[in-house]
Amino acid sequence: MEDLYLPLKEAIIDGEVDDALNESQGLLDQGVNPLNIFTDCVEPTINELGEQFSRLEVFLPDLIIAGDVVTALQEKLLPIMKELNISGREKGKGIIATVFGDLHDIGKNMVSLMLDINGFQMSDLGVDVAPMAIVKKAEEINADFVCLSALMLPSLPYMKETIDLIKNNAKLKDHTLIMVGGGPVTETWAKSHGADGYADDAIGAVRLAHELLGISN
Amino acid sequence: MNQRALLFDVIRRSIEGPIVAEQDFDMNHIYKNLKKTVKKYNIHLESNSIINFDDELADKVWNAAIEFLANSGIYYKDTGRIIQFTEDEIRNRIQYAPKEAQYGEGNDKVIERARTADDPNPCISMGSSVNVPCENKYFVPIMLSYLQEPLVDIHCPTTNLTTINGMELRTRTPLEILASWEEVELYRHVAKMAGRPGICYNGVGISVSDVGQLSAAHLMRPYDSHCVGIISELKADNSIMNKITQTVLLDGQCTPYANPIYGGLGGGLDTQLVLLTAEMIALSVVFMGTTVGTTPTHPSFFSSTTKEILQMVSVAFQAISRNSHIMTRLTHTMVGGPATKTFLYEIIASCLVATKSGLARLQGPRGATGAIEGACTGLEARFQGEVLHAAVKIDREKAEEIVQKAYAKYKDDLDKKPYGKPFWEIYDVDTIQPKEEWLNLYEEVRAEAIEWGLPII
Repeated sequence: MEDLYLPLKEAIIDGEVDDALNESQGLLDQGVNPLNIFTDCVEPTINELGEQFSRLEVFLPDLIIAGDVVTALQEKLLPIMKELNISGREKGKGIIATVFGDLHDIGKNMVSLMLDINGFQMSDLGVDVAPMAIVKKAEEINADFVCLSALMLPSLPYMKETIDLIKNNAKLKDHTLIMVGGGPVTETWAKSHGADGYADDAIGAVRLAHELLGISN
Repeated sequence: MNQRALLFDVIRRSIEGPIVAEQDFDMNHIYKNLKKTVKKYNIHLESNSIINFDDELADKVWNAAIEFLANSGIYYKDTGRIIQFTEDEIRNRIQYAPKEAQYGEGNDKVIERARTADDPNPCISMGSSVNVPCENKYFVPIMLSYLQEPLVDIHCPTTNLTTINGMELRTRTPLEILASWEEVELYRHVAKMAGRPGICYNGVGISVSDVGQLSAAHLMRPYDSHCVGIISELKADNSIMNKITQTVLLDGQCTPYANPIYGGLGGGLDTQLVLLTAEMIALSVVFMGTTVGTTPTHPSFFSSTTKEILQMVSVAFQAISRNSHIMTRLTHTMVGGPATKTFLYEIIASCLVATKSGLARLQGPRGATGAIEGACTGLEARFQGEVLHAAVKIDREKAEEIVQKAYAKYKDDLDKKPYGKPFWEIYDVDTIQPKEEWLNLYEEVRAEAIEWGLPII
């Protein structure tokens, strides 16, 4: 990473929103293209954090505070990019939810956050979400992919039902891909119940989303 | 202290406590509060030992956990409020935790007592893999494989019923009620078949929500155990408090549990020591646990046998056993499954850590992360019981030496996910006896453990 980006990188890692916004403004004032701020600094920093997280050298709260900074940077820089007609940041719109009857959210939150800070536009519907609520949201935002999580066995039928509803929905069936994960879910279960992919952790989910949408990571 | 008075107090605080946004609770009440507390108490674990030998560290963790819990409180999702107790209230309530409890009745009665790290009495062995997915037709043979083992002191349904009348179970529906009744009735049936009609039932395992558990109240006996899982980290809701309320009204044994996720909101090793200890205290003083439990989980391996989690368990439960008489339970989860040596080595390490950290009860072993269909047999429960009985005959130093040997044998296998084989491939389903393949592996590792100095009889 070029030296000029190092102060911004530090602000992201430290979760310092104000410092990050000031640093990004400084870069813009130097004439740096806002897209380059993402591709040359924000994304490599987040990828590095993700790698550290996979080795448990950093933890979920470190990702959360870095994610807050990335959100603030997106809010500042995306309108500027739009104004300048610069594109290239949008990787895809996704929905994530823990399915009906299940209140577990930590694993789901890890996945949501990692996808979000890797450039996917995530709508996190929370926990205990009814199948139709997921389908309606997918229709509303024309989701590119839906991530479903479950930790409890008796919640799995609701995951299956959500998959069936999406795969039989005229607006979604040819477009919206489904990723699944969570304690009782396995790759075999995913394949046999019509999901497009299975990931067993947050890093795997980011990799899978890139693969399914045909985007290089 | 009167349980109903405690219950009313908790309910009142859940309705009248301070309002906090859930994200604020996660980041400030949990994470930042943990970091601040760990810094204040100068808690840092950097040791090659897996079993803890540092009493001062354990005591610091205990005091830090009480202060942390007083500052964090419990987040109540349905009201958006905090159930909060002061440090003095927490310390006062800890005194009322039961020192012993009866589980089961008649000849199958077991008295559980608080233990210390160097206690001469073994942990209670709750031989069960806990709710492993499995076809209904194997429910009875698998349960029998556990209940026929004499070293299984207490049991709970090892596998989950997955269908009722051919319909897949769905939580919070009539199917959950039907399955809950069937689970308790089938359990009693199998217990009778095994000649252990009075053995404690711990459940309702299939009842994810409160619907099934509340409906099956009349099927619970006085010395059964009512299990209630709280939400990580330090959260509860009406469904959880409904189960607690029913347990109090039935004057039953409440066995709540909390499962911190390593690397999650509780961060890394030092902060997790405080979080795990605080969660066990909360289960005792807020959720009125007779015996309080946990399955700390690694986010990549979904197990509790990684080095950092074993270390975390050792410090946290020594902290509790040195400073209170709270009875504690660990549900240990392994990556290795039946018919693998990895599984057996993980069992040795985890049983020794539990014994030398003052746990009252060990629940498991839960092989193949507990998620692989049919990956559970009574033979691993036999091995668990044998190791627990042998563990009290050696000192902490010797136990540490054996734990290190066992850990060295399995640590590099975790990435390979050696989930093993399902029950029906390695047991004769008619005679309920292990087949030679699984029995030979068990005997090899057992002999190896004896050679290391573990006096298994």
